[in-house]
Amino acid sequence: MVDDVKLAEKAKTQEKLRRIDDNLRLPSIPERRVFPKEIDIAAARMQTPAIGQRATRPDGRLHGLGQTKYIDDMFFPGMIHAKIKRAGIAHAKIKDIDVSEAEKMPGVMATLVGSEIPVNSFGPSLQDQPLLANDVVRHAGDGVAAVAAVTEQQALEALERINIEYEELPNVFDPVEAMRDDAYKIHNNESNIYASKTIMKGDIEKGFAESDFVFEKTYSTQMVEHVPMEPHASIGEWDANGRVTIHSSLGRITLGRADISRTLDLPINRIRIIATVVGGNFGGKNEITTEPIVALLSKKTGRPVKCVFTREDEFISSTTRHPFVMEYKTGMSKDGKILARKVRLICDGGAYCSWSETTLGKACILSAGPYNIENLHVDAYAVYTTKTMTGAMRGFGAPQVCFAYESHMDDMASELGIEPLEIRYRNAFNEGSASPTGQVLEAVVVRDSLEMATERFGWKEWQK
Amino acid sequence: MTDVTLTVNGEVKTASVPPETTLLKLLREDLNYTGAKLGCDVGDCGACTVLVDGLAVNACLMLAGQAEGKEILTIEGLSTQEKYHPIQKAFEDVAALQCGFCGPGMIMATKALIDQDQDLTRQEIKDALSGNLCRCTGYIKIIEGVIDAYQEIMGKKLPETKPRIA
Repeated sequence: MVDDVKLAEKAKTQEKLRRIDDNLRLPSIPERRVFPKEIDIAAARMQTPAIGQRATRPDGRLHGLGQTKYIDDMFFPGMIHAKIKRAGIAHAKIKDIDVSEAEKMPGVMATLVGSEIPVNSFGPSLQDQPLLANDVVRHAGDGVAAVAAVTEQQALEALERINIEYEELPNVFDPVEAMRDDAYKIHNNESNIYASKTIMKGDIEKGFAESDFVFEKTYSTQMVEHVPMEPHASIGEWDANGRVTIHSSLGRITLGRADISRTLDLPINRIRIIATVVGGNFGGKNEITTEPIVALLSKKTGRPVKCVFTREDEFISSTTRHPFVMEYKTGMSKDGKILARKVRLICDGGAYCSWSETTLGKACILSAGPYNIENLHVDAYAVYTTKTMTGAMRGFGAPQVCFAYESHMDDMASELGIEPLEIRYRNAFNEGSASPTGQVLEAVVVRDSLEMATERFGWKEWQK
Repeated sequence: MTDVTLTVNGEVKTASVPPETTLLKLLREDLNYTGAKLGCDVGDCGACTVLVDGLAVNACLMLAGQAEGKEILTIEGLSTQEKYHPIQKAFEDVAALQCGFCGPGMIMATKALIDQDQDLTRQEIKDALSGNLCRCTGYIKIIEGVIDAYQEIMGKKLPETKPRIA
């Protein structure tokens, strides 16, 4: 009986060894790429004029066959994987970072902390953001250290062994509170307000005095993450000539190249970026994230290093859409014409500036809406808080203010008993109207668009 | 290490992987089938959808060891040199994919749906693809692609439904 068991075990072991032996003898080659041989080229690409002809997307076939190579689909010989440790604390002074335990973990080849980065700051308008926080953590998703290991699993396990001593600092989560003089100054500036814009047109005091009704309301929007299907990813390789090759999912590679050059303190001609197909950007992949980190880890280890954000990284450490607090005050005549409007925009910029300054400008210009307003005053502020930083996202500030001015319009229409569509017709831009910043508008189709849109979605029937 | 023997797109494959390896990692890293994507790693987004014995499965939630002896079909196994698969063709024709990252998962989920050989409605297609997220298209063209593929494969029309918006 016992012998039978032993024999069976022996046979199993032999079979296993034989299989391993077979595997060793056969060279490991990737599967061949199968693709249909015949290609039909879209009519639009075959004849002139192309207009009116059906076109397909030039990348559609590769996407559908699953043969598009995104960063995570690329493997280079000897490549290792990096992961980044997140602070997990909103605002704190870093007293000590100890990576020695992590370095002893199996498979770990190198670690990186903020002090090892040549120039640890970047940003499109203000260079206030570190790649890895060095002395102060300003939001919970701030990276504090990176680990490169043979497998992703080993890198993740090593992150758990990094010991960091924090000294907590006061949190500032509310943008309105952050603007107050006595608020804790997140960047040691005089104020947490780091950008402001003003638009003044006409005389609002006079406008309000002439108004029959004055409406006031505050609107706010929330933070939104882009959630691209493909997380941020990059592969960096440092070569013997001191040149860096980076494969990256960045959307703005030229700007990214300048930022990488700055952070690595290398002349820009030593940096080569290979942009790959981006698996969804929506504004979230406009800035560097891991690129200099993989480059430096590659320099330390002499291997290509890949870093792919986990979905958690994506949510807590990449940029998001700005939450806005929008205070609107509008003066109206009895017949529903806007005579004056005062707007105060507070843009919650999160821990770092990123694209807030430009977003604020766009929001400010568009905050009055597509309406003729003779007397206008807009004040807009971008404010630091100890939350995930906010940056570019589809619309760049326009959707937030659109929500506010259109909600305001509806509120006023219902108070005055005027039909919502009618109140818009009475105020909408027409040919030759001037925008809040004085641009004379041509080819204005606000009224036509409203008519067509309401007809298409059945506004009249819905009203009944 | 765990030994796994499985059939991928009709070919028998063997690999020895750490026990915590998911089917997705096994396919992508050990067997080089990078068509299935890692999107969320928690089974929410469906970018990693593959067929296991004909059923659509999130490969990021299945351990490699659980796939022992199973038949796996990935996006790479649909078309051949001779024939472009009707689902892939339909998706290309209606431009259902923009960034394309959700594409392989969407197409595999569609394949599992059409393979059930049942009469479908637009709503049933939407329900069947509810486990696959897309951030670019707004789903309209993907649904169109699925309908085209269904009509091509099954040779019959989808019942007309009244669109919600006139």
